[in-house]
Amino acid sequence: MNSPARSKSVVDRFFFDWFPAEALGAARFYFGIGLAIYLTIQFNQLFQISAFGAPFHYTLPIWYFGLLGIDHITPWTIYAAYAALMAACALFTLGKWTKPAIVAIILAIFYLKGIRDSISGDVHHREVPIVVCLLLFLFSKCDRSFGLDARRSPKPIEDWEASWPLRAMQLYVVMFYFWALMAKVRLSGLDWFTGGGRIQAVLLSRSLRDGFNPDGSVVNLSLGYELAQHPNIIFAVGLLVFFFELLAPAILFVRNIWLRLLFVAGATVFHQANWFLMNVQFYFYPFVFVTFFNMAAVTRWVGGRLALKRPLSAAQEGV
Amino acid sequence: MTAWGESQLTQAQTKQLLAVFFTIYFGAVFLRVDYFPLSWVPMYGLHKTKETVTVGVGDKAFRDEGFVAIRANGERLRISSRLLNVPSANFRRLYAQRAFNNAPPQHNRERVGLIGFNRWWYETLVGPDPKLNRNYPDTLLKSVNRTLGYGPSDRQRIVQLESHLDFASFSRDKLNRGDVSNPLVERRVAIVRPEGTILVGPNGNRIIAGYGLNAGKSGVNAIE
Repeated sequence: MNSPARSKSVVDRFFFDWFPAEALGAARFYFGIGLAIYLTIQFNQLFQISAFGAPFHYTLPIWYFGLLGIDHITPWTIYAAYAALMAACALFTLGKWTKPAIVAIILAIFYLKGIRDSISGDVHHREVPIVVCLLLFLFSKCDRSFGLDARRSPKPIEDWEASWPLRAMQLYVVMFYFWALMAKVRLSGLDWFTGGGRIQAVLLSRSLRDGFNPDGSVVNLSLGYELAQHPNIIFAVGLLVFFFELLAPAILFVRNIWLRLLFVAGATVFHQANWFLMNVQFYFYPFVFVTFFNMAAVTRWVGGRLALKRPLSAAQEGV
Repeated sequence: MTAWGESQLTQAQTKQLLAVFFTIYFGAVFLRVDYFPLSWVPMYGLHKTKETVTVGVGDKAFRDEGFVAIRANGERLRISSRLLNVPSANFRRLYAQRAFNNAPPQHNRERVGLIGFNRWWYETLVGPDPKLNRNYPDTLLKSVNRTLGYGPSDRQRIVQLESHLDFASFSRDKLNRGDVSNPLVERRVAIVRPEGTILVGPNGNRIIAGYGLNAGKSGVNAIE
């Protein structure tokens, strides 16, 4: 790093001294790939809407649709917005016209999310951390390495310029878990966790919403229905969620790669379990954890392994 | 700025930018702002322990055929997700929740347990609690008519929507033992008309929206 750590404040060390310059562009590259997949998962239900079918009038328009006076779906625009979104994701990933691509992605997210959530009025939170990360990419110099725009850059970026956006993304991503716990406690106290609590109620609600088969089994989410009958296991799962969300911020201060991988694995299990037990569509969300690693080093390490050349450990590569 | 967002920020300016950025995002947490892209709470953060847990038990085949509807000219029809041109997941919420005057989660939790300052700014800048005087079925009926292109005097317009759904009530005691057998199952029908919505159940009829009812009430005590 550029200057002795002892002369820097805690804030400086936290934001500026974590990643080398190469990490930001590589994170953008892998984030872009994950983003295209994640947003397709989020918005693919809109493809059930016929491009030239009836223009549904919203029951509860999201706040910015209300301000703009958008009160119904113009169906064909879904397909146009999705095509623009994917093109922008491709440009963002490749680092070509990177900043305009980020703006286009954010606008497309607002539009498609607005359509999806205004039909019945349930506003989902699955795009919130994504937009935060995109804003931080927008403010950063993510276009100056690991991409096509970088080829005409006059000079490489410095380490601190790459480090702060990624650290800020990490901070928001882990605090998203922490605030989720605080919100539950603020709204529901420990009721959310005690006994079967909220988890058992959601398991029942989700698994019964499509009813039963003639043989008495539930139509969907049979594993969730089965788990709803084991309050002790649910309580244990609730405790795990409690401690995971409570302690998530600690990962911000961990440099050990294996501990960071353990954290990512825990988060991934959490999101996958929410998917197959309750059909909560957060299952591809762990792609945001590319911001927790030096993905340039990961690329070299994986490339080296694939080429069977000079196999180094991840730690040696500076992941 | 030299180009698209290509700033020449110093470290001090970067820290100022981060301070503003996180003041907005984390300030929203303390102020309980839940307007995308700001948020302070997960979708299902609200939970109150009750003696019974009531959930809707869907009939997917029946729901896929849609609302039972009546036109102004007396014709009966079914109004499905395909006719309204909406995804099935959204239609399920309209059918099983809004028709029964059940609010989306953000309305249910918006004013729960607010501290004084947050209550003040919500009431000053946003307005009254969305759960007061709520009438989601009326919004649904208006949306259906607008979507299908029917004006207020059109004889084709929809004057009644029915949502048929079973509700299963599980006692807390049994749930605590993991016993989900033999819940109390009742068929309820939400009958949505322009003047209001009636819930028809085994214990008689009950007004749940409109008809001069000025306090917002949920049709059934079901979780989403």
